[in-house]
Amino acid sequence: MMMNFLFVCGLCMFFGAALFQTVFAAKASVVVRRFSLWAMLSANLLFLLFSLNIVLRDSTFSVNLYQLTDILHFSFFVDRLAAFFMMIISSVSAIACLYSLGYIEHHASNTDKNFLVAMMSLFIIAMLLLVASDNTFSLLFFWEIMSLTSFFMVMFERKKADTRKSALFYFVMTQMSTTFLMFGFIAIYHITGSFEITAIPVVSPFLKAVIFLSLFIGFGIKAGVMPFHKWLPYAHSASPSNISALMSGVMIKVAIYGLVRYLVFVLTPDRWWGVMVLLFGSFSALLGIIYALKEHDIKKLLAYSSIENVGIILIGIGLYLIFQSYGFYDLAMLALIGGLFHSLNHALFKSLLFLTTGSVVNATGTRDIEKMGGLMKVMPYTGFLFLAGSAALAALPPFNGFVSELMIFQAFMQSFIIGNPFLKIMLFLGLSLFALTSALAAACFVKAFGLIFLATPRSEEARKAKEVSPSMIAGPAILAAVCLLVGIFSFQIFSSLGFNLPIPNLMLIGLSLVVTLGLVWSFMRLVSNRSTRTSETWGCGITSQNSNMEYTASGFSEPILTIFRPIYRTKKKNERSFNDAGKSIFKEGNAEIQTFKVFEERIYLPIAHFIQRLSNYISNLHDVDLDTYILYSFAAIVILILAAGWLI
Amino acid sequence: MSFLIYALLNTVFIILISPLFVSLIKKVKAFSQGRQGPPLLQTYYSLSKLLKKETVYSTNTSMIMRVTPYINIVCILVASLCVPAVYIPGMAAGFGNIILFLYLLVFAKFFMALAGLDASSTFGGMGSSREMTVSAVIEPVIIIVFTALGLLLKTTNLYEMFRTSLQSSLFINPSTLLISLSLFIILIVETARIPVDNPETHLELTMIHEAMILEYSGPNLALMEMSHAVKQTVLMAVLINILIPWGLTTAPNILTVSISIIAFAVKGVILAVAVGFFESMFAKSRLFRLPNLFMLAFFFSFSTILFELLK
Repeated sequence: MMMNFLFVCGLCMFFGAALFQTVFAAKASVVVRRFSLWAMLSANLLFLLFSLNIVLRDSTFSVNLYQLTDILHFSFFVDRLAAFFMMIISSVSAIACLYSLGYIEHHASNTDKNFLVAMMSLFIIAMLLLVASDNTFSLLFFWEIMSLTSFFMVMFERKKADTRKSALFYFVMTQMSTTFLMFGFIAIYHITGSFEITAIPVVSPFLKAVIFLSLFIGFGIKAGVMPFHKWLPYAHSASPSNISALMSGVMIKVAIYGLVRYLVFVLTPDRWWGVMVLLFGSFSALLGIIYALKEHDIKKLLAYSSIENVGIILIGIGLYLIFQSYGFYDLAMLALIGGLFHSLNHALFKSLLFLTTGSVVNATGTRDIEKMGGLMKVMPYTGFLFLAGSAALAALPPFNGFVSELMIFQAFMQSFIIGNPFLKIMLFLGLSLFALTSALAAACFVKAFGLIFLATPRSEEARKAKEVSPSMIAGPAILAAVCLLVGIFSFQIFSSLGFNLPIPNLMLIGLSLVVTLGLVWSFMRLVSNRSTRTSETWGCGITSQNSNMEYTASGFSEPILTIFRPIYRTKKKNERSFNDAGKSIFKEGNAEIQTFKVFEERIYLPIAHFIQRLSNYISNLHDVDLDTYILYSFAAIVILILAAGWLI
Repeated sequence: MSFLIYALLNTVFIILISPLFVSLIKKVKAFSQGRQGPPLLQTYYSLSKLLKKETVYSTNTSMIMRVTPYINIVCILVASLCVPAVYIPGMAAGFGNIILFLYLLVFAKFFMALAGLDASSTFGGMGSSREMTVSAVIEPVIIIVFTALGLLLKTTNLYEMFRTSLQSSLFINPSTLLISLSLFIILIVETARIPVDNPETHLELTMIHEAMILEYSGPNLALMEMSHAVKQTVLMAVLINILIPWGLTTAPNILTVSISIIAFAVKGVILAVAVGFFESMFAKSRLFRLPNLFMLAFFFSFSTILFELLK
């Protein structure tokens, strides 16, 4: 009863907020917007309560909301897995709403702002109901609502040509993902004859493989798995930061939910699926972070790092499938929980990073890291919160990111119990790639934090930046605290949920860190000289240091770019001309480094060109007289009837 | 309670002996270059002198510069609890986990690299950039080495590993020898020694670690130096406890613990001398040649895995 109340009440508040905002889109003022955002915030808290209740008690919840026809209906079923993802969605969305209270007022047009709030509300509710969906019909319905509303939000700054291009790119990719999903769902319907999400009976391996592949591609596009990832950096950098936080923190987790739901509960996985998921995961993780390292646009950097983290989650799922197929259920569980826990952790710290980045971008008016620097002194709170997010992402103990990576490491390291030597060697290679990924992530976020917040400002805008409003600090601060607490109490949390995992008790580690700090600090107070003095940085005798002399983002990542040159496909051009024949007196020169967009130029564009040629050909078919059109209609009807006969 | 005693004893011992190894390596290098070198207790003198000096901060720095020395030493001291040098304690929930041990070291490194960027000096930035690059490239080697160890000793807990290596004579096992080679390379890389880095110079072409801490002075510098020394001892202890664990005890009483301590000191001195001679034999190699060295270490450890898997 209480659960019903929470569910319906939350829904009403969301729709109320959305309706309110759309109806008064032209007029509504700050007060109305605030009211709607607070309503959304409380609705999210209701859903958080609802989902926590189910996660903790391991109970289930089901409700049939609206019956369209006999087989098409909006009905919901929430079990522990769905509730876990609802918990991710509602907690991060609540924080995004809190942050938006201050953030959204920085934008210009009143109508646009109202529209954004309305879309946000629909977006969040679509994600929540998608995860709760009991059948593929309502799942696809909310999937589309989620895609459409997010498309509109990406289009927020539609006057910029860049934004329009990004949004269109995103739209095409997201529709492709829906197409693949629909194909997979129809194939499942063909087998079971219903749209319910339940385990399907044993079918031919070929059909099973087709279903798996189309679902994997469908969910993979949305999750940003390489090579379907290209929309992420575009869409995340174009949209407002609160929306990037929602899209990166939450929306791609919804795709992960879909994948886990179908792999664990609906299909009976084959062994090669696990290997495939693991491979895609490893390469997404490694290439994601390698591309992130070269980015100077902070939001693109974060987007690539999301690709990396989705890769890590897929590694967990892949390991689960492999161990499960060999019957090592404990290890499989460890890997799966590692992957799922990483979904939660990534949602927390990535939205934290996107929100604080939003504050930074607002304060400096640029997304280019090269033009930042020294912000720690003018924006200390934002800086501190960004540091906490970076620490969690770089998997520093005792933050939450460490715990989930530790679980995956543990699962990997015990993979020697698998019999097949070939697979074993592959897993150990995967382990070393995973280690490389993890270390590169640390390097990437030293770069991100160090070059944005430390040293001296490298532009006038960065020099004039101001700390942001309290709600834009309060939101991220809650996330940072949760990141730390979830990490420290991870052992206790998992044992209270009934999972006995071989992970260290980080509460003890945290305690010993604090005690050691206390001891060292008091020792230093007792014995050391406490006088301090400020002076200039040593500059080899140059007395007036300026910001041109400090290390830049390109400089920082240069060694890594050089080592991984084959992956970036960098081309270094260095043309020099000399005044004399002996090439000793330099006249002029030109040097540049280019990186080659491998995925765009080798995969995306060829496909796009092919489709363009095809549609050119088809559009020629339209240039005919009436008789031919009638023939077309006849052919179409015949094909439809045949297709219907096959389906029903 | 018993763990507290262990923690206190182990930490104090490692803190006390670490500067000795640092000086010893310098002494050996001086000897092989035909110089006399600093006295054996020089590092102790330097540290105590640094504690008495005032701290100079650059005008450009933020909080990061001020908290990093403390974070560094704390993380490395807690990591040192995972590597017993006095005796192997019973199981303590959490300590000894290999991934935890490695990531505590990464924690320290993360903040050190940030501090390098903080003073807006070119040297610091260069040091951080190179340090993060080198540590990223060596990371797969480290994980594979410890996985190989885990495979060989059937556990991923450091205490268990040392206990097993103590009971079985692994010295004669070819896998252990291969792993020890890789561990030695890791020791060289992680403690910023030739051919990866040159701890002696302050020349921009050769330095990584020294560049990052260039802006530190006074007690803060003492803390940074101390944490570097402790880290070196801890990594040496891993190698010692795997390859030549004799003398280390699992049943602590005054006699056995003193034997352990003396044995560790002797083995540490031998290893430090070896490191000193190793450094003297090589020249600093180019930064972009380093991945080749790491590939060698990777090859050793991965071939151990292959060997163990196919045995």
